[in-house]
Amino acid sequence: MTTFIHRRTGVSELNDLIRSAPPEIVQLGDDHRRSLAARFRAVPSNGHRRIDSWNVERAGQPAHAFRWSPATARRTLGNAALRRMLRDPLCSVIDAINREIDDQLMRDVAGYAQRGSMASWFATLHQSELALVKADAANWTLQMHEIALSIEDQWSVCASDAFYDVARARTTLRGRRDLEVVLEDRCVLLRIRSGSPGKSSGPGLRSDLTIATLAHPQGIAPARMIGLWPESGVCLGVDGTMSDLRAGARDLVRTAVAQQRYHQSIAA
Amino acid sequence: MEALRGDRKRRPRVDTSSAAGLRAMLEDGIFEFWTDAPEPPLIVRASSLRNVKDTTDIALSNHARLRGVLVHELVRLFSVGAEISSAFDDAFRAWQLETVAGELFDYAQRLDGDDLARLATDVMSHYVTLSRALGVIPATFQPRSAVRASVMMHGGTIVLRDVIDLMVGTTLGEVASVALFDVTTSPLGTGAERSMRYHALVQTLRSGVVPLRTSVFSSATGEMWTLDVDGELLRRSVNDVLDVLRAMVKHA
Repeated sequence: MTTFIHRRTGVSELNDLIRSAPPEIVQLGDDHRRSLAARFRAVPSNGHRRIDSWNVERAGQPAHAFRWSPATARRTLGNAALRRMLRDPLCSVIDAINREIDDQLMRDVAGYAQRGSMASWFATLHQSELALVKADAANWTLQMHEIALSIEDQWSVCASDAFYDVARARTTLRGRRDLEVVLEDRCVLLRIRSGSPGKSSGPGLRSDLTIATLAHPQGIAPARMIGLWPESGVCLGVDGTMSDLRAGARDLVRTAVAQQRYHQSIAA
Repeated sequence: MEALRGDRKRRPRVDTSSAAGLRAMLEDGIFEFWTDAPEPPLIVRASSLRNVKDTTDIALSNHARLRGVLVHELVRLFSVGAEISSAFDDAFRAWQLETVAGELFDYAQRLDGDDLARLATDVMSHYVTLSRALGVIPATFQPRSAVRASVMMHGGTIVLRDVIDLMVGTTLGEVASVALFDVTTSPLGTGAERSMRYHALVQTLRSGVVPLRTSVFSSATGEMWTLDVDGELLRRSVNDVLDVLRAMVKHA
């Protein structure tokens, strides 16, 4: 039986949702990893596969080609700016974003930025376009900071997303996560989303939960994965139980199968 | 902007309890006239409240809409303290970074030199009025631009959508500090007051916190209306929304 919790994003509701996370610690072992790898290997692949919760939510449908825009850059830039603000409390949001962009531009000038990276995209932008990127990132950072400050337990901004390479299956799984809340011996992960939750948001959260568990060195599952949709004032949660992890893994494999079918139909 | 924020010592305590009551009022009101769940869901926007009667408005022409979009881009650039060298060029570049298709995009592509010059002059005049009114927005106000909201009601069959041009302040803290600032390129009318109330209602439902003030600024006339948000204002907005929904259901 999988779990699915729905709440409003008020301060007390969010803190209740975090603190009511199940106390049991669930762990994925080597057998689980081997079993998942075998299932992925059974799905033929034309090249290296990358699967994340967005693919799961879209049931493996091919997405439009990625292009940088203020909307696609705001999370990376905004989270980095928030980490900078936490290191230097005197730094304002705009200052933090300006410094992050300056760092990215320096990387491009120094030749460390790859083609197609965010840094090289910034280098092509006009001042007014860059200002729009800053405005979008400022919205993200302020929203994240407001949510984080409303959490009564110890929290930190995640340094990166969770990545897991499935052994000999040419597959990389990417689990998104923005904030980590530590509750004594367990943790709760939060993910901030734009727009409104849809019917497939639960499977998306479950796949993020599974990937975060697989990426953990000891395979320990987060006690709860919470998705926040501040635009709608809604948050959803799934628990780190074995049945939720299994459901998350099944959705990831199904997405790989669906992707393969789409590739085959395009080729035909 | 200072006037909008007001004196900190006179601000009321933050109200986190009204949102649930307003939601219940809306749900009860909808239940009274609701028949079948429409497909797709009914969407209410601030513009739905502005144009209650089915009239053709000059503000709905492509030229006016494009001018409005570009002025909103300028508000976004203002919010991060950007230096604007050429109002039209900067706004147009910023808009094109986000927009790659659509009716307005096609319209903009079709504009000839004369039309572009006319639009640029128009945007410039609105920019001058706006920049005088806004001044420099301090980073301590925590300005956010184009803040979107999408609140689902009645089991997702009704969606209240909104975009607030500029929002300052935070929902955390002991006193109310969130101020909503809407910019319109049209002169202010009765519809503007309804949309001010709507912004406050949707923001309350979204965040669970009642904002301090809601205001609307006309870059056409330089006029600004500001209202303190209280229970009465929010209840009036609930009635506005119910009126619009009744009309939508009647015409559906």
